[in-house]
Amino acid sequence: MAAPMELSCWGGDWGLPSLQPESLTVMAYAKFSGAPLTVNIINNSWRAPKGDLPVLISEDIVISQPAKILNFLRKQKYNADYQLSAKQGADTLAYIALLEEKLLPALLHTFWIEAENYCSVTKPWFASRISFPLSLYLPGKMSREALNRIMLTRGGPPLYSLTEVEAQIYRDAKECLNLLSKRLGTSQFFFGDAPTTLDAFVFGFLAPIYKVCFPRVILQEHLKQLPNLCRLCDDILTCYFRSTVSGHSPAGQDTADANLQKLTQLVNKESNLIEKMDDNLRKSPQHPPRKLTTLKLAAGGEESSPWNRLSP
Amino acid sequence: ATLCFQAFLQMCNLPIQVVCRANAEYMSPSGKVPFIHVGNQVVSELGPIVQFVKAKGHSLSDGLDEVQKAEMKAYMELVNNMLLTAELYLQWCDDATVEEITHPRYGSPYPWPLNRILSYQKQWEVRRKMKAIGWAGKTLDQVLEDVDQCCQALSQRLGTQPYFFNKQPTELDALVFGHLFTILTTQLITDELSEKVKHYSNLTAFCRRIEQQYFGGHDKDSSATAAARSAKRSLLR
Repeated sequence: MAAPMELSCWGGDWGLPSLQPESLTVMAYAKFSGAPLTVNIINNSWRAPKGDLPVLISEDIVISQPAKILNFLRKQKYNADYQLSAKQGADTLAYIALLEEKLLPALLHTFWIEAENYCSVTKPWFASRISFPLSLYLPGKMSREALNRIMLTRGGPPLYSLTEVEAQIYRDAKECLNLLSKRLGTSQFFFGDAPTTLDAFVFGFLAPIYKVCFPRVILQEHLKQLPNLCRLCDDILTCYFRSTVSGHSPAGQDTADANLQKLTQLVNKESNLIEKMDDNLRKSPQHPPRKLTTLKLAAGGEESSPWNRLSP
Repeated sequence: ATLCFQAFLQMCNLPIQVVCRANAEYMSPSGKVPFIHVGNQVVSELGPIVQFVKAKGHSLSDGLDEVQKAEMKAYMELVNNMLLTAELYLQWCDDATVEEITHPRYGSPYPWPLNRILSYQKQWEVRRKMKAIGWAGKTLDQVLEDVDQCCQALSQRLGTQPYFFNKQPTELDALVFGHLFTILTTQLITDELSEKVKHYSNLTAFCRRIEQQYFGGHDKDSSATAAARSAKRSLLR
C-alpha cells in the first residue's frame, strides 16, 4: 500500500539476521507488525555506511534511529501494539529505558571494548563487511564511540578507572536481565500471546549476547541461566526469522522448502511401497519393483541416491 | 533531585535538615549533589541512599512483589533517562537558557573570571555527554516531545491511584515528585516544559498531594523557601 521501504543495516551471523541490536529491533518489529521491508545488508561494497545504521529509506524520507523508525512504521499503520492498554504502553517505555540504561553499556563493552572479544571477533567481522580503506578506520571509531559513551554516562567519580566501571556495568546488566526474566515469567511474550514493541527491543538487545560466540562470555553465561529469556529469543528467531537465518534469499528458501516437502512426500510414498513390495515378495518372489524405478527418476534430488543404493 | 531525597526521607519518617553549600559537589563522595551526612558517614545518589536507609531498617518497597519491583526500577530508569536528561539539556544546551539563567546561577558563588570558566567547563562536560548518548542532535522541540511522552507514560501508569503502587508511596513516587515539582516551580525562559507537565492533571494533583502530606508539616514560609532553595540547588547540579 505505502511506498516501498528499504532498511539498510549490518548483516548477521551465528544464526542472527543482524549483529547490531538496533537493526535487530527494527527487523523484529517489522516482522511482528507485518511491514513489508526490503532489507539491504551492508556488505563489502563501495557504498560506505554513513553514520548511524540502521537507516530506513522510504521514497525521499530517511530515518535513522530505531525509535523514530518504529514511530514512522506506526504512522504507516504497521502497529504491533494496538492491543496494548495505555498502562502497558507506559510500561513499554519504562522497560526500554531500563534496557538502554542498564544493559546497553555492558553490551557495548562485550562487543567493542573487551580486548579479546574486540580483536578476535568484532573487529574482523565488521572490517570484512566494510570496503577498504574504511575497514581500517571505522571499527576503531565505533570502538572509541562505545568507550566514550560508557565512560561519560557511567564513569563519573568515584568510578575513575575502566575496571571499576566494567564491574559496575556488568552488575547492572545482570540485575537488568534478572528483572526482565521476572517480568516475563512464564508467558510467551511480554504482553500475552502476541509480540509487541517491547519484545522487539528485548530481542534486539538479548539476541547478540545469546548467540554470538565470543571468547569472554560473562553475560552470555548469565543469560543462559534465565531459560525464559533464551526461549523468547529462540521463539522469535524460529517463528519470524526462519527464512533469513539460513542465509538464502526468501524466494530461494521458499523453493527449497517446496522441494523438501515434495521429497518428503516421495520418500514416504516410497517407504509405503517398499513395505508393500516386501509383502509381495514374500508372497510372489518374481514381482518386479517397477514403480520404485519410476519414482526414483521423478525424485531427482539427493534422496534418490540412497534409495539407489538400497534397491535390490 | 534534592527534592527527591527530601521526599523519600520524609516518606520514611526520617527527620532531615537541608543545608546549602557552594562546594557541595566537592564534598560529595561521588561528585554529585545532593548527598546526606549521617554521623560520620556520607552517602550520595539515590541508589546508595535507598540502600543505606534500608540497611538501617526503613524501606518503602518491601510490600512489592518481584514483578512490581522490576516495574518500579524500570520506571525509575525512565525518569532518569528522559526527565533528568531533558532538564540537563534545557539548562546547558539551550543557548538562551544558558546565557540568561544557568551561567549566572552556576557561577554566582565565585568571583570573575572563575565563574565563567567553571560554568563553561560544566557546559562542555554536559554537551559531551549529550553527544555520546545521541541527544546533541535533538532540537528543543524534540526534547519537549520526549518529556511529553515520558509524562504521558507516568500519567497513564499513575491513573487514578494516589501513588504509583497504590496505597503506599515508594522510591518511585519520591523520584517523580522531585523532578516534576522542580519542573513546575522553576522559572525558566519559557514555560513550555512546565506546560507539558501541567497538561496531565493527575500528575499535578499527585505533586500537590505529596507536597501537602510530607512538606506541609513545616510552616508555609520555610517549606516554600526550602523548596525554592532546593530547586535552585538541583539546577546547579
